[in-house]
Amino acid sequence: MSKKETTAPVVHKKPLGLRLHEYRGFYLMFLPVFIFVLIIYYWPMLGVRYSFYSYKLRDIHFIGLGNFVKLFGEKEFWSSFKNTLVISIVKLLLNTFVAVLIAIFLNEMRSLLAKKFVQTVIYLPHFMSYAVVAAIFTLFLSTSSTGFVNETLKSMGIIKESIDFLHSKTLWRPIFYLINLWKETGWGTVIFFATLSGINTELYEAGDIDGATRLQKIRYITLPALSNTIIVVLILNLAKVLNIFEPVFVLYNSRVLEVSDVISTYIYRKTFLTAIPDYGYTTAVGLFKSLVGCILMIGSDIASKKIRGRGII
Amino acid sequence: MKRKVLSIILSSVMAAGLLAGCGSSSSADGGSAAGASGGTVAEDGTYELTTLNIIVDGTVTATVDAGQAEFVAQWEKAVSEKLGHDIKLNITQLDHSDYSGTVSRTLTTGKPGDSGYPDALIMSATMLRQYQNTGLLWDLSKAYDNAEFQSRLTLPNVNLNMRTSDGKQYGFAPTYGNGCVTYIKQGWLDAVGKKVEDIKTFDDYYALLKAFTENDPDGNGSAGTYGVIAAGFGKQDEAPYINYMPEFWQGAYPSFYQKEDGTWVDGFTEQATIDALARLNQAYKDGLIDPDTEEAGTKQAREKFFSNDQTTSEGVFTYWAGTWLRTLTDNLTKNEVKTPSGDPESLVQLPPIKEIKDTWGGYLNREAPVWVITDDGDGSDAREQAIFDALFDTMLDGDVVQTLWTYGAEDVHWSTKAEEFVLNPGTDTEKAYSYADGEFHLKQSPNDPNSLWKKNHLDAVLVIAPLTNGYVADDELITEGNTFFTENCVDAPAAASCDTLSEAEADIVNLRTQLMNQAVVGEITPEEAIQQYKDQMGSTSDTIVEELNAQSAAE
Repeated sequence: MSKKETTAPVVHKKPLGLRLHEYRGFYLMFLPVFIFVLIIYYWPMLGVRYSFYSYKLRDIHFIGLGNFVKLFGEKEFWSSFKNTLVISIVKLLLNTFVAVLIAIFLNEMRSLLAKKFVQTVIYLPHFMSYAVVAAIFTLFLSTSSTGFVNETLKSMGIIKESIDFLHSKTLWRPIFYLINLWKETGWGTVIFFATLSGINTELYEAGDIDGATRLQKIRYITLPALSNTIIVVLILNLAKVLNIFEPVFVLYNSRVLEVSDVISTYIYRKTFLTAIPDYGYTTAVGLFKSLVGCILMIGSDIASKKIRGRGII
Repeated sequence: MKRKVLSIILSSVMAAGLLAGCGSSSSADGGSAAGASGGTVAEDGTYELTTLNIIVDGTVTATVDAGQAEFVAQWEKAVSEKLGHDIKLNITQLDHSDYSGTVSRTLTTGKPGDSGYPDALIMSATMLRQYQNTGLLWDLSKAYDNAEFQSRLTLPNVNLNMRTSDGKQYGFAPTYGNGCVTYIKQGWLDAVGKKVEDIKTFDDYYALLKAFTENDPDGNGSAGTYGVIAAGFGKQDEAPYINYMPEFWQGAYPSFYQKEDGTWVDGFTEQATIDALARLNQAYKDGLIDPDTEEAGTKQAREKFFSNDQTTSEGVFTYWAGTWLRTLTDNLTKNEVKTPSGDPESLVQLPPIKEIKDTWGGYLNREAPVWVITDDGDGSDAREQAIFDALFDTMLDGDVVQTLWTYGAEDVHWSTKAEEFVLNPGTDTEKAYSYADGEFHLKQSPNDPNSLWKKNHLDAVLVIAPLTNGYVADDELITEGNTFFTENCVDAPAAASCDTLSEAEADIVNLRTQLMNQAVVGEITPEEAIQQYKDQMGSTSDTIVEELNAQSAAE
C-alpha cells in the first residue's frame, strides 16, 4: 500500500502567484460574492460580542460572563430549553413517521387520478402561513360558541362541557403536533415518494412470483429501500431542532407557557415584550442556542458520514 | 478574450453595486441624507430646524393610505410660514400593537441626527415614566411655560401634574387621557325587558349579562350569545389595566399604585384583586363572559361585538369613550346589525355602577399620552427648543396647524366648500350630506368613501387649548359620548416606574396574566393565584415597592 503511494505520480503545483494570475478572471468574478458574503453573513456576527455586555438604551458596558451566569441560573430558560428539545424532536419523529406512512399509502394506490388528488390535497396546507393556520385552528377549537369542534361534539352528545384544547397543559402539545402534522406531513412525503418511485419494479415482480402479500412486499422491499432516506431526513433535520419558533409563537399562550415556551419565544419575550430590554442578555441566550446548534450540526455530520459515507457540511 | 472582458465588466458592475450600497448607508449614518433630522445655525445665531423627524402610533389617523401626504404638505406650508423658513416633516408611523418595543429598539440603536432617529415622538404615560430618567428625553418645562398657547389653556393641570418633584417636565400632553365606558346594545336590552337606568349595582349588571346569555336576546331561538366580551380579563400590559372590565374589577387595581397616604403597594396582592378574580371566575363559570375574551385583542373583541353574525355575539362591551361611540355605532350600521324587532341596532352607555362609584368614583380617565423631544446631549437647548416651537407650539395654535392635527388636511379630510355626497348609496343605510359654501364639515374618509371622516390625532373635545377658528365637527354621538365620559370619570392612578420594575416588567406582566387567566377559568382559586404570585415574584415585588417608596420619600 505504502509502496503504491510512493510510486504515485507527484503533481507539481504552480506557484500561488502564477495560479492567481492564470485564473484572475475567475477570482475577479468571485470577489464581489466574497465581499457580499463577508458583509451580509460575517460582519453582523461581530454583534455576538454584545453577549458579554450589558446593553440597555445608552447604558452599554462590558460585564464579562455576567449574562451567561444569569442565563444558567434562570429556571425559565432551562424550561424553554427542555421544551425546545422535546417539542422539536417529537415533532420531527412524528412528522417523519407519518410522512413515510402516507408515502407508502400513496405508492400503493392503483388509481393515478386518486393518487394525484390526494397528493394535491395534502400538499396544500404547506403553502399556508402559520399565522393563518393558527387563526383557523384557534377558531375551530375555541370554547366560545363559534368553536366548531366543541359545538359539534356537544351537539352530538359526546361532551357536555367545552374542552379548552389550546389552553390545557396536557392537551396543548398533542394538539400542536396534530396541527403540524396537518400542515407539514403532506409536503414531507415528497422526498419519500421520490425514493419510492425509484425502486426497481422487478423487485415487486419477484415478490409477486414468490407469492408475497402486499404487506410483505412493503415490509421486505419498500421499507428497506426507504430506510436510508428516512435516516438522512432525520439527520438533516436534527441539526435544526433548536430553531423552532413560528409554529409555537402563533399557538402558545400564557396558560401553557410551562409546556410550550421554547428558546426562540423566550428570547422574543425578553427582547420585544420588555419595556427597556437588555440586548446583551438576549444576545447571550441566542449565542448559547447557536453553540448548541453547532454541536448538533457536527454530531449530525458525524452520523451522516458513518451512515451514508458523506457528511452534510 | 471575450469571456475575460465580460467577466471584468460583470465583476465591476457587481462591486460597484455593493460599494454604492455601502456608500448610501454611510451617508445616511452621517446624517446628511434625506430623512435625517437636522437644522442650521442662522446668521443671527438662532437654530433653524429644517427637517423634523417624528415617530407616531395609530392615534394619528391620517395614515399613509388616508391622506397623510396631504396632511404633511399642508403642515410644512403652514409651519414654514410661521417659522419664516422652510421645514420638512418626516413621519414614521409604527405598528400600534408593538409601538413601545419598536421605539425602544430605535432609541437604543440610534442617535440624534441619524436617519430614522426621532426628534419627537408619542409615548404612553407608562413609557414616559420609563424613559424620563434615562437622559434620552429633553426637559421641556421652560419651553412649556413660555409657549404661545399658554394664554389659551383651559386644562393646565394635565401637563403640570406630570412634572417631577424638581420641576422637570419631559412630556407634553396636548389632550387629557380619555377612558372607557360600558356600551350596551339597546335592541338586546329591549329584547330581555330591561332598561339601562335600572342597572345600578353589580347584581343588576350580573343579571343583565345572565339575561343576554340565556334569554335569546338576538331572537334566533337558540343559545350562543354571551353577556360580555373584552380584550382580556384584565389588560396587565396597558394602564389602567382594569378599564375593559370595570364592573368586575370595581375597586381593585392589579398593579403597583400609590395609596391616598402616599405609600406604594402592589395591588395584585390585595384582597380587592382576589375578590375581583372571584367575580370574574363566577361569571366565566356561568358562561356570561365570552371565552374568546382570554386571547382577544381589542380589534377581535370589537369586531365580534359588531359582527353581522349576532348569534354568537355579546350585549355588553366596555371600550373607549367619545369618538368610539360613533365608530362602534357606524360599524353596527355598516354590518346591518338589526334588533330582534328589525330596527337598526344602537348603543346605550351605562353609567358607572354603585361599586365603581363607591371605590374609584367613576370610570377611569387614563393618564394622557404625551409627546416627547429627544435630547441630543450637546449641552445646548437650541435644537430642542426649535423642535418645541415647530411641533408643539404650533400644534395648539388654535388655528391652521391645530386644525390639521385635529381634523386633518383641508379638502381631503374636511372642507368649508359647498358639496354634497352620499354614504352607502343604494343600501338601507344610505345617508346624504349637503353643505353650503363656508360651512365647516368633515368629508368622506379617504380610505373608505362609505364612512365619514372623524378626526385626526387630537380630539377636539379632549384638547387642553381649544380651537379658536370655530371649526367644530358637529357629531351628536361623539359629543354625547365625550360629555357622558367627562361627567362620569375620575383620574386613574399614576403609572409606577423604577429600575427593578423596568427590568422585571415583562416577567411580572407575564406571570400576572397567566395566574389571572388560570384563576378566572377555574384552574386555580384566586387565593392560590395570589399566593403563587407571592411565591414566585414576591421578593421582586417587595423590591419594587421599596424603590417606589424611596423615590417618593426623596421627592
